[in-house]
Amino acid sequence: MTEPVQINQESIRYFNRNLFRSLIFFILGILLLIGIYKVLPYFLETMFMVAMAIILTAIIGPLIDRLETRGIRRLYGVLLFFGLLIALLVFGAVRGIPVLLTEVGKISDGISSATSGSSMEEMLGSLNTWIAKYLPDRQISMETVTEYSSRFFGQIGSLLANAAKAGVNLLFIVIITFFFLVQGDRMMKRLIESVPNRYFEMALNISYKTQKQLTNFLRGQLLAATGVAIMSIIGLHILNWTFDANISGPFIIGSIAGFANMIPYIGPFIGMVPAILVSLFNNMGDPAAASQLYYALHIIVMFLIVQQIDNYVISPVVVSGSMEMHPLTVMLVVFIGSQFGVLGMFLAVPVWGIIKVLVLELYQGLKGHHFL
Amino acid sequence: MSDNTSLMTSPIFESFKNRLKPQRSEAQLALANVHIFNKLSWSEIRRVEQTVHVRSFAPGENVFKQGDPGSGMYIIIRGAVGIHLDIPGEEPQKLAELSEGDFFGEIALLDESPRSAGAIAIENSKIIGFYRPDLMNLLHTRPALGAKILLALSEALATRLRSADEKLAKATRQLKTYLDAEAQDHD
Repeated sequence: MTEPVQINQESIRYFNRNLFRSLIFFILGILLLIGIYKVLPYFLETMFMVAMAIILTAIIGPLIDRLETRGIRRLYGVLLFFGLLIALLVFGAVRGIPVLLTEVGKISDGISSATSGSSMEEMLGSLNTWIAKYLPDRQISMETVTEYSSRFFGQIGSLLANAAKAGVNLLFIVIITFFFLVQGDRMMKRLIESVPNRYFEMALNISYKTQKQLTNFLRGQLLAATGVAIMSIIGLHILNWTFDANISGPFIIGSIAGFANMIPYIGPFIGMVPAILVSLFNNMGDPAAASQLYYALHIIVMFLIVQQIDNYVISPVVVSGSMEMHPLTVMLVVFIGSQFGVLGMFLAVPVWGIIKVLVLELYQGLKGHHFL
Repeated sequence: MSDNTSLMTSPIFESFKNRLKPQRSEAQLALANVHIFNKLSWSEIRRVEQTVHVRSFAPGENVFKQGDPGSGMYIIIRGAVGIHLDIPGEEPQKLAELSEGDFFGEIALLDESPRSAGAIAIENSKIIGFYRPDLMNLLHTRPALGAKILLALSEALATRLRSADEKLAKATRQLKTYLDAEAQDHD
């Protein structure tokens, strides 16, 4: 005969109290989520500016640290950096903008002369003959080309229209970056000190390791992008000198290639496209260039060489090994980024890298301190 | 002569003297008493003070738990801390009770291996935490200062190693003497 189960009144009260507390936390959690969802759009732009400032601080910070190592106080180091940057920008604006405008002018001249004359129709004709061999039901019409061109240039127009707003945002980003660079350590210390004792050591370690990883990742990306940009500019010049390829604006195209390099696997192809298009437009109607397929093959080979040098020489040295990404991950991330426009596509991989670092460090920290 | 003495002891002079005397915070004074910082100048101590974290612990609160990854050292400004060793299946063993001016956990500045014992505040305590990220930041931004701290830490380790070697040699000698005596008894 089993004894009847005695339900203690204290246990019932304890259960009710816990149930009540859980219910309150659940409702508060739901309200918080709704609040974030409703308020987030208003803060999205500010959050973007703060995120950009954090990225810039992570890139510039080591340089300021180095100046501090040489005995220059942090504030003076930051002032020195921004002074030099402004001087460089002014010098660049005075000397570089005319060169840049000439390059843009050359590219647009090439495009307009190609699209205005009959050469575009001639080229389309030969292209359609080639396509017809493999895909008889697919043909490219002049209307399609005009539609895509106007859509592409329309986007550039809207980008320019937003330039003034972007300028103001840029100014805010620079100001936030300035304060992060000068007082970032103190701000971080205050933030960390608000963490309860139980989680303090873990929070400090995670924040330190994340900062370190983030700095290494962004610096690596920047160095690799600069390397690819410089090699592409040199490569395009070599093509112009050796094969008389007539690819105008090598500086702009090389810079695009370098920037696009931040997107693994897909980036190199994005870098090739402007070069091939410019060569196509500039050399339209030139039978020698047509016989060389408008130097498309040369350009592809040149970019492949640049990519191989980047993959086997530059990236292994400057990019952290822990940031390697699976091709499928890159594709998905770039696809999600593309929902936020062209800039979103370019920033998707670095942002994913930052999230990956944060999650990995948080997981390892929680596991190390037996919270998981 | 008596005029000079009265001038020296006058409240105005005392107040002026006090104003000229450098004001040291309790954190600075606590840091200066620890062997790895006691060779630093006051300006260097001030720089270390900007880096470290002053934390308050309630009685019974864990400073760190046994088995947690080691992150750094602690210096007690006020209060008391007990060092405990948990042995599975046994009652926790109290290894030491530390008070004002004492420090512990400095090896964790060099090594991330798990803490060999736990530390629990016995009373309301104000404790300075100096962690590996802080040391790394100092090494990065003030290499000369970081190197001084590392050197002092290495000296402390060398002293401990020498002491451990001597204890081991003594224990080996005692064991040998004991084994020889046992062997003679058997003979």
